[in-house]
Amino acid sequence: MLRHAFQCMGTEVELVLRADTGAEVLPRAEMEFRRLDALLSRFRSDSELSALNHLGSCRVGPELIEILQAALEARERTGGRFDPTIHDALVGAGYDRTFELVAAGVVAHSPMSASCGGEVFVDDDNSMVEIEPGYRLDLGGIAKGYAADRVLALLAVAGPALVDAGGDIAVTGGPWTIGVETGDGSVVLELDEGSVATSGRDRRRWSAGGEDAHHLIDPTTGRPAEGDLLRVTAVAATGMEAEVLATALFLAGDVDDAAAEADVLGVPAILVAEDGRTVLTGALA
Amino acid sequence: MTNHIARLYAAAGAILALFLAWAGIAAHPWQSDQTTPVATRVDSQTRALAAYEKRLKKDARLVRKVVRRRAAEARAARQAATAAAAAAAAQSATASSSWSPAPSVRVVTLPPAAAPAASTKTS
Repeated sequence: MLRHAFQCMGTEVELVLRADTGAEVLPRAEMEFRRLDALLSRFRSDSELSALNHLGSCRVGPELIEILQAALEARERTGGRFDPTIHDALVGAGYDRTFELVAAGVVAHSPMSASCGGEVFVDDDNSMVEIEPGYRLDLGGIAKGYAADRVLALLAVAGPALVDAGGDIAVTGGPWTIGVETGDGSVVLELDEGSVATSGRDRRRWSAGGEDAHHLIDPTTGRPAEGDLLRVTAVAATGMEAEVLATALFLAGDVDDAAAEADVLGVPAILVAEDGRTVLTGALA
Repeated sequence: MTNHIARLYAAAGAILALFLAWAGIAAHPWQSDQTTPVATRVDSQTRALAAYEKRLKKDARLVRKVVRRRAAEARAARQAATAAAAAAAAQSATASSSWSPAPSVRVVTLPPAAAPAASTKTS
């Protein structure tokens, strides 16, 4: 078993290869992760995403086109709950720098709402992207899943592999066991292929002007979401889908609504309410 | 006779040469553009830049106007599509068809000393 860990995208990334050979692919996979971070981070002024946010309209590379198309498709599939145009709402909530700096510093003002649901035009043929004036993009809700999918494809050449991007996990060539925290302990999932992602307000949270704030923005209010859910773990075919589904279910409002929706969609999910109540849905029920 | 004509040509040529020399000297060919006053050059460059900036701002205003109009149209179309999708979802559970089929997953119990390969957490 080969393991390789590093810090990237504001979190700890671990790559696991169930093989004795192929160690040379691990540094290459790390480089790919770092390359994608350099393209997609809103916290790096030199990233392609920051350039697009600054200019509002510009020519971009194929990865940004691909992830934007996926994000816009996800917005449509989730009825707008997942939204890549929540950048200003995140900034309004105080998440205007990396989470480490937000957590270490002080946010003096209460969360301020900002308009979400801006239009984004992606011209695939000319590699052009235009954002509706007044909006900016944040890909934090999908970029780690995208990177995990890309890196997993690289590792899969060498053997059964697992990519853990700060809790967003993608696996291939299983069975792989993955621990999931519940309200009163934990369960272990076994997965051959696919991804697991968790969205919640138990970790990336901070105090803003005396109010609790977190990074899961409800696009209908432009503010951190309210409801009785603490955390949602979703299982899906890809890292991107798992991240989007976890966020969309979290924004369903309360644990019962989210569970009903997950069952309708057939999504295996673990929903944990603030009072510790845990509901398993889909194939896990 | 021939000498007379030759003298006339010579006189005409001399006058022409004198005129050309005068015109050449009057044009001050030894003075290059660099002797144009600096203030005059800067003024003309500034004017050109200002005109360029004005043109760019005008173009940017036009682009913003077009993007806003397209955004409004796209938003209306998206809201209509979302409403249609919501209506379809209310009628049937086939709304899940746009997602990839969920992978096979099960809850397992590990032996006491074993740990999972990884653990998910809020990202």
